[in-house]
Amino acid sequence: MTSHNDAVPAIEVDTVSKRFGSVTALDEVTIDVPRGTVFGLVGANGAGKTTLIRILIGALRTDSGSVRVLGLDPWSDRRQVRSDAGYMPQAPVLYGDLTARENVAFFARGHVSGNTQGSVADALEFADLNEFADRPVYTLSGGVRQRVSLAATVVHHPHVLFLDEPTAGVDPELRRQFWVRFRRLAESGSTMIVSTHQMDEVVHCDRVAVLRSGQVLATATPKELLASGGATIRVRTGDQWDEFRVDFLPNDLAEILHDKGLDPAVTRIEVEGPTLEDIVLELIDSGREEFGGA
Amino acid sequence: MGRRRTWTVAGRVLRQISRDRRFVITAILAPLLLSFFVKTLLDTTAIPSSQQTRFVVPFGAYIVHFATFILTAIVLVRERVAETLERMFVNGYQQAEIIAGYLIGYTTLATVVSVLVLSELEILFDLGYTFFQLSEVFVVIWLLSVISMALGILVSSFARTEGQVIPFIPLVIVPSFLFSGIIVAVDLLPVWAQVISRLSPMYYANLVIQEIIAGGTLVSNLGAFLALPAYGTAILALATLTLRE
Repeated sequence: MTSHNDAVPAIEVDTVSKRFGSVTALDEVTIDVPRGTVFGLVGANGAGKTTLIRILIGALRTDSGSVRVLGLDPWSDRRQVRSDAGYMPQAPVLYGDLTARENVAFFARGHVSGNTQGSVADALEFADLNEFADRPVYTLSGGVRQRVSLAATVVHHPHVLFLDEPTAGVDPELRRQFWVRFRRLAESGSTMIVSTHQMDEVVHCDRVAVLRSGQVLATATPKELLASGGATIRVRTGDQWDEFRVDFLPNDLAEILHDKGLDPAVTRIEVEGPTLEDIVLELIDSGREEFGGA
Repeated sequence: MGRRRTWTVAGRVLRQISRDRRFVITAILAPLLLSFFVKTLLDTTAIPSSQQTRFVVPFGAYIVHFATFILTAIVLVRERVAETLERMFVNGYQQAEIIAGYLIGYTTLATVVSVLVLSELEILFDLGYTFFQLSEVFVVIWLLSVISMALGILVSSFARTEGQVIPFIPLVIVPSFLFSGIIVAVDLLPVWAQVISRLSPMYYANLVIQEIIAGGTLVSNLGAFLALPAYGTAILALATLTLRE
């Protein structure tokens, strides 16, 4: 049986290595994922994200190190682990000639022994698929297929979810919707590992591991990562440029600029810029209004 | 093995088959057309029509063997390439359930093909068999079709890509025609060829069919008849053991 002891992390990866021939896919990777959190695996293509996820679902065996998912070894106890886990592959792996509902029902019946109608309806509702439920998957757009794939992943109410680049090739609005849903799942108690190569998605995670060439470069919260970036401030007085570096970009610039001759009457200067995602979403929303809505 | 999951796979396969009309029509028409070719061939030979029955039903059985083997030889590798096979495993389906589900799903089509081919042979060649004899021949051909599909699934489970399946097809199909006793008595073949002949289900099917044609029954050569389900069981066990994610 899988362990539901809250004191034990949902996922424990301890110095795991994996090689494919001469290529090192994972090099002594160590991460712990507490229950009910969204953990991001961030890195470029080939960083080792998919290999780690495939190890966690028991599709690959480690060369060394140990892995526990809900207290079990995903390789030797793969049936038990999988009954309590959901896996969403990178591409929407579905049967194109079946409808969205038939796909979700088929994958549900692998795990659920009783009537699956209610679970299937809930999963379709969760992924906002009611209007597409009875259409063959081959007639659906890429983004809708991803939603069908998500519904098939969550249909058996797993406690742990492995989502391999679920937002790859998805437009910004749908990406935002996906992350809203992931957060909802985490709030209901599910633990999630979400891989992504889109760095701006880090902000949606509770904690992330940054991977490169199979190695974990850093494990931190998004706030810690942002703070670790620091900032360079340039101040021009007449023809004179002053440049200085700070470890943290302060919310209030006035304190720094007083030293550079800023009028002491100015007590606070706050800087807040939109993220790239905000800019694109705002553009989409304003475009919709301009063209009379979607 | 979970019966429910097996029937779920079978239901899904059947649904997919029924929605692919072009596939269904081709799968049914191709063996019927090939049976007609056999009629054309035998009519142009000097073999008297009274002697033709010795060849007609085994040829028909061979066509069903060929057609049903091809049906399934590609299915699992297609699932592997599309990654739906891995997703099935991750979602709780087991090897035996997947293979049994596929076999049940395709058996419907194989049954239709067996009935139609035998009916066509009866019409074209006026075999003159009793209903009981025809029923017994049908049982053999139907069993052969199911075993051929199991063989196709086994081959499919070995391949990693669709291209890798192609060389297996003639390796199975050609020896089962040349060495199964349809055109040359197996006893006249060199020993190595006799060994190969016994690796094909067509060899056992031909033995039982020849018994029925000669006026015997299914159980006249009980060993050969029982060899068919035993062969099928062994192939299915092997396919289950070799099917990997």
